[in-house]
Amino acid sequence: MTVAALSRYQARVLRIEIRRSVVLWSVPLLAALFFFDSFRTAAGFLPAWTARSSVITNNMIADFGPFAAGLAAWVASREGRRKTGDLLTTTVRPAWARQASALGATLFWLLLTFLAGVAALYVDTARQATWGGPPVWPVVVGVVEVITFAVIGFTAGALFPGRFTAPLAAIGCFLLATVGYHAATAARSGKGTPALLSPATTVPLGDVGVFYHVAPDVAIAQVMFMGGVTVALLGLLTLAPVFRISFRGLLAGVSRVGRWLCIAGVALLAAGVAASATAFSLAGTARLGISGWEIPALHDAASDQPIPYTPDCAGSSFKVCVHPAFSGFLSDANTALQPVAAEIAGLPGAPVRAEQVPSGDGVLGTQGMNFAGVPKPGLSGTPAVYRYISEDGLAPFWGSPAGADNASWRAGFQQDFLTAFVAGPPLAAGPGPDAAELPPTAAQQAVITVLMIKAGSVAPDFGEDMTNNGQPAAGATPTQIAAAAQRFSSLSPAARHAWLAANLPALRAGTTSLAQLP
Amino acid sequence: MTTTHVLQPAAAGAPARWRAAPALRLLWLHWRSRRVPAAVLALAVCGGVLCAALRLQWTFNSGHFAQELPMIVEGGAAAVLVITTHSPFGEPERTASRWLPYLRLVTALAMTALAIGILQLSVTGASLDGGVLVLARNVIGITGIGLLTSLVTGGLLAWVVPMGYVAFAEYALLQSWTSPWTWPVRPPDDRGAWLCACAVYAVGLAAFTVRGARTRLADDS
Repeated sequence: MTVAALSRYQARVLRIEIRRSVVLWSVPLLAALFFFDSFRTAAGFLPAWTARSSVITNNMIADFGPFAAGLAAWVASREGRRKTGDLLTTTVRPAWARQASALGATLFWLLLTFLAGVAALYVDTARQATWGGPPVWPVVVGVVEVITFAVIGFTAGALFPGRFTAPLAAIGCFLLATVGYHAATAARSGKGTPALLSPATTVPLGDVGVFYHVAPDVAIAQVMFMGGVTVALLGLLTLAPVFRISFRGLLAGVSRVGRWLCIAGVALLAAGVAASATAFSLAGTARLGISGWEIPALHDAASDQPIPYTPDCAGSSFKVCVHPAFSGFLSDANTALQPVAAEIAGLPGAPVRAEQVPSGDGVLGTQGMNFAGVPKPGLSGTPAVYRYISEDGLAPFWGSPAGADNASWRAGFQQDFLTAFVAGPPLAAGPGPDAAELPPTAAQQAVITVLMIKAGSVAPDFGEDMTNNGQPAAGATPTQIAAAAQRFSSLSPAARHAWLAANLPALRAGTTSLAQLP
Repeated sequence: MTTTHVLQPAAAGAPARWRAAPALRLLWLHWRSRRVPAAVLALAVCGGVLCAALRLQWTFNSGHFAQELPMIVEGGAAAVLVITTHSPFGEPERTASRWLPYLRLVTALAMTALAIGILQLSVTGASLDGGVLVLARNVIGITGIGLLTSLVTGGLLAWVVPMGYVAFAEYALLQSWTSPWTWPVRPPDDRGAWLCACAVYAVGLAAFTVRGARTRLADDS
């Protein structure tokens, strides 16, 4: 029989398997899960490519992975369930050829559905995104993860054919993804970083991949690890007939499987284990950098360079600028900041511009790390520029820009802006990067309140932090602050402006008491 | 041996334990044909995993994520027990035994109770978010979905839709859905969630008792 004839027969078997695959009947369920979970989750994210594509390796894998494993286990255990193993052994086709066709058909439908979901996700993102293009690495990682889950299930089904294998394989993979996600979210530089190989990881911040390229280091390690697991399991499947015989019959078993096939199985197993072990070891060296998680052995320093862009700006005397990826927020940001900027115009150190800066993958806030070259949020420079990040706690650039069109979002943005101007950078309540930030002093809170009300906004909410001895951290109760604000508010605009011009340095230094407010 | 033979009345004057024995033997044979012993073992594995997950803190202790992993294990337990609805005999069994619906009913009820018991036993002394009430409600409701699925797909593939529901419930959990149909995300004392879970279980159990899981002449075993 020629190679061409063999290929033709193999293709025919594959076609039959594809036509009769049980996965086909699960496609509506997978599509429904994709729509309700992955697609709707992505629709709630900012229309930025990196944020939305994170759904591929998080939600989509959680939706597809368990079914890939369960259905593949079901397909693989077919011969065992139907007790046709001995019968099929007598046929001219080797076991691996039958298994390859069954696995191929399972993967065909799974990957087709998965890629159709990715296409729907990317088309929807393309319609809304204002900057950038579709990232490829999440798709590559997602495809490799689906294949890995399917091969795990297929191996379980082939080695342990039984009615409980399929649901247990599905549940096992579901748990694996969930536990892996938990471990990945706990990963810190130098601690627990191998967990980054987990199928699901945390949702990146909105501006990841916007100011700096996302380093593909972890994605490469994930593909290497998952690919290694897949290759090792395929090797195990090839060697499966050898494992089913006793040690005495080992040579006979090798002879039955075929010497070259045995060598290929051992080679696949060894190569897979080596690749996975290497990836595990590489992930252990990962550390947080400007472009996300970096693995030194895989890292390309060129990806640390900022991506050039021209900001979108609005306003004339006071400019409000955003990154073009966030241009949907420009109008609301401008509407929020112009009135409060007008209130402080002409005062010493008043900013002439507000511009968005990178949030540095959240590590600035969560781990106290500062990267060289990344401008810090707050006021700086001469003339002063107000720098803000998209991850602002009160007015984040997250979700749909339409969600920012409300009074509380604008008030939050204004409060941050005025706090940076009146109170300066926040002081830490204690040592260490995790220490809480002190709220503005009572006098600063009163002034910020008045400026916001005069700008036509609502009174800000500073909360009422208490010190350890039960005293208000700001130095006065909210009632006392409100009374002082009422007093300050009753001044004429000119008098208020003059007082601020004269007393702003003392107010910023925190030496002005509530009683000293006019 | 047929069920008719097994259920022949005991000889007059025989001790009561012998009169009860044929019914027990019938039940045991039914359970063996449904791989109930293996299912109990699989449920024990689920319990062990849940126990390990809570004690070794494989997941978050509080917040939305605290319910995530227990819910998957509870869904898994329900998926395992609905596999026992599959009959290896197919159509001929239905024609030969009038006791079959009762056996199905007893088996489904017993397995549900056993699943809840094993999982509850495995979390004794550990802090399970929502406690035994949420655990029981999840197992009951998801088993109901599985029983209904078995009418369409047959017992062996009846795990597919319950797994889909668990995956959907994960999304509902993170999105803080409040609909009673998403009972895994509702608090333990939510009456609507209990009604929905119990209604699905009751309908599934009734339909399964009357009709049994779907079978074909050449069904897989």
